Amino acid sequence: MAADTAVAPSPEETLESLLREVEALKQKLEEERQKLNDASLSFVAERLETINFPTLKLRRMLKGHQAKVLCADWSPDKRHIVSSSQDGKLIIWDAFTATKELTIPMPSTWVMACAYAPSGNMVAAGGLDNKVTVFPLGGEEEPAARKRTVATHTSYMSACLFPNTDRQLLTASGDGTCALWDVESGQLLQSFQAHAADVMALDLAPTDMGDAFVSGGCDRAVLVWDMRSGHAVQAFDTHLSDVNSVRYHPSGDSVASGSDDSSCRLFDLRADREVARYAKDSLLFGVNSVDWSVSGRLLFAGCSDYTASAWDALRAVRVGTLTGHEHRVTRVALSPDGTALATASWDSTLRLWA
Amino acid sequence: MDMMVSTLQQQRAVTEQLRREAAIRRVPVSVAVADIVRYINEHDQEDCLLVGFSSQKVNPFREKSSCTVL
Repeated sequence: MAADTAVAPSPEETLESLLREVEALKQKLEEERQKLNDASLSFVAERLETINFPTLKLRRMLKGHQAKVLCADWSPDKRHIVSSSQDGKLIIWDAFTATKELTIPMPSTWVMACAYAPSGNMVAAGGLDNKVTVFPLGGEEEPAARKRTVATHTSYMSACLFPNTDRQLLTASGDGTCALWDVESGQLLQSFQAHAADVMALDLAPTDMGDAFVSGGCDRAVLVWDMRSGHAVQAFDTHLSDVNSVRYHPSGDSVASGSDDSSCRLFDLRADREVARYAKDSLLFGVNSVDWSVSGRLLFAGCSDYTASAWDALRAVRVGTLTGHEHRVTRVALSPDGTALATASWDSTLRLWA
Repeated sequence: MDMMVSTLQQQRAVTEQLRREAAIRRVPVSVAVADIVRYINEHDQEDCLLVGFSSQKVNPFREKSSCTVL
């Protein structure tokens, strides 16, 4: 890119010249984006045939946590779920039978993030302890006896994921940074710094390359990162409050976000702008988590009003509401084969819908 | 003086960030939107939560039948 050759600091750069350039660049960005804004998703969607959305039913209830469930992730085997809670426990569930298979104690309460490794043989979790710890599953010994601390931030850990490999871990933190770690050595491989406040969410691009990811934070920004260079390559800043969740569309070309401003938004990466907004005047509570159905037609949103909503992503209308949780829904997660949606809540339960 | 240097460095980082953002290639929204719609149309038949299950037998989370064959 031409811009990269211009980044070497030149002696004549002053604060004033930089500020002037920032203003000019912002204006140029806005003009470029506006120039290409020749259509709208909802207008295109209006001409599509209507579909009858099936009603999702409650199929399973997972009870076992003693306090708020803060995060959950599916195993690649499509059957197991790991969940983490304010009670300081990690639970491995058999989702088919709705039974607890394993309870793993964590060093602190408020375990805000947990994730399954792609092999299914390992889980990672962390939270107020500012660390991510990995636990190998299976084998004779207790997972807790074989735990290994991989990542350490200077503030709480808000999200973690394995970037298509068991050997690396990507984390987001309240210290405003994301980081890539080597699982074996615990070494920091790359730090990602551009958020101006706590980073709350992460998602990996659904390409085989796995070289891009997206993050959202309390600076209201959604940032797209190049994992190799460590640079943020795109920024979307239309949300009015904290961004709590980000999720790539299955096509990989756009990203959905959920925010405390009670809306979800769709940002197209190639058009470089917001292309849809999922909000209603009657919805006043924050969106804590978003996930897509297999085709990317349905966007699920877990909200602080105790419900999860299903939105028609094209027409931007709400087509279903999952009610039953007795407190905030903190997480919505589609099973890997798309046959069920898991919801986690402050009411200490997880529920499965299909 | 240190303060000024660090402010300048911060501002430089912000400017560099914007230079990168301004340099990316974009497609018209109409093209992006058409591709989103196409992707969804190509995959909607695989989407159990959208079109339902071809048979409840393939739903791993279906209700267990209350009648069992003895």
